[in-house]
Amino acid sequence: MANTETALKEALASIEGATGVALVDYTSGMALGTLGGSKSFDLNVAAAGNTDVVRAKLRTMEHLGLKGQIEDILITLSDQYHLIRLISGRGGNGLFIYLVLDAKRSNLAMARHQLRRIEEDLEV
Amino acid sequence: MTAVQTTPPPRLPVRDKAAARDRGWGGVSPMLTRLAAERATGVLIRERGTLHLAEGRVVHADSPSAPGLDVLLTARGTLDGDTWRQALTETGDRHRAGHLLVDGGHLTRGALEVCQLTALYDAAYFALSPSSTPGRFRYGTEADGESEPKPGPGCECPVPVAALERETLRRRDLLHRIWPDPATDEAPLVRAHRAAPPKPTARQRAVLAELDEVRTATDIARDLGRPAFHTLVDVRRLAAAGVVSPRPPALPEPSPAPQAPGPYEGIPADVTDPHITLLKRLRDALEAL
Repeated sequence: MANTETALKEALASIEGATGVALVDYTSGMALGTLGGSKSFDLNVAAAGNTDVVRAKLRTMEHLGLKGQIEDILITLSDQYHLIRLISGRGGNGLFIYLVLDAKRSNLAMARHQLRRIEEDLEV
Repeated sequence: MTAVQTTPPPRLPVRDKAAARDRGWGGVSPMLTRLAAERATGVLIRERGTLHLAEGRVVHADSPSAPGLDVLLTARGTLDGDTWRQALTETGDRHRAGHLLVDGGHLTRGALEVCQLTALYDAAYFALSPSSTPGRFRYGTEADGESEPKPGPGCECPVPVAALERETLRRRDLLHRIWPDPATDEAPLVRAHRAAPPKPTARQRAVLAELDEVRTATDIARDLGRPAFHTLVDVRRLAAAGVVSPRPPALPEPSPAPQAPGPYEGIPADVTDPHITLLKRLRDALEAL
């Protein structure tokens, strides 16, 4: 069974077009692990900021009374895709994987599928 | 007339907090910063918790305010309590117990690692909170031969001091941005009643169900098996929404001797007019700007 570092490495290596990945705790906003990113793209900042995205969506679903679980949240920029995958599991501690993809080189459907597999490895 | 010219006194030295923040460290504990620089090994004992260092990196943190790894692992059924206790008896050390459970297939490596990191940062947040007494440092791992776990070689998650300090400052800032009044962090909590409260989330509902005017946020965290800092976040959000407040200090006993009616006769001592509470919250928020 993978540890967090291997899981992040696998995400970055096996998902086509991936440029950065982080495992984030969305209550505290802390990145438990990051890989990739660059000087101009600080994954820790992205992690903390995207907790607000996840929280807003969860709150809206509570208001609407929706019972389903969020699987992933996709944000498309003109040149990047940001994929947020919530980690389900008994812990329920609120973790998500945050994946940054280069839009030109990636296959979104494939990336989602691979991320789901990596999530299973990380089940807490 | 002669004017007496005196040289103005030299400016008092002021620690440059902005620069410290840019560096990402130095703002939490100068002693810890120095220990990291000299790659010290030992135990830093502060008012609200301890940090265990190995070669200048943090390998373990403990605080009475934060639930330990065992609570995080067992409370929600990730692991059952007996399995944990058995592993602990066999190995006599929390880190090795964790690894034994991973090897035995009771726990995934990822789950253990995430729980270890969460527990470490959680306890460190409290251990590094501003204190009124200076910290002490005991060098070496042998000095603490008592019940303290030693930073053994088995620990896979040493955290650099700079990262820990940066994260602790970020966490303080996060709490402050949610709701600037820290009163709910340590006081016993009560439910505050307001008209049309916002709907709490599932996590917040669990916290609300635990409110009993006795326990504090960290007590509730332990009972729910959640990290203490996460519960501070939930409670501050609830305080900002006006749903939770710290228990007001007990009113003084009324004196038994009958007194002449005062000018405030007929006005209840404890005013709970919702408008006044709203105005107070508004004032607090404005003051904090």
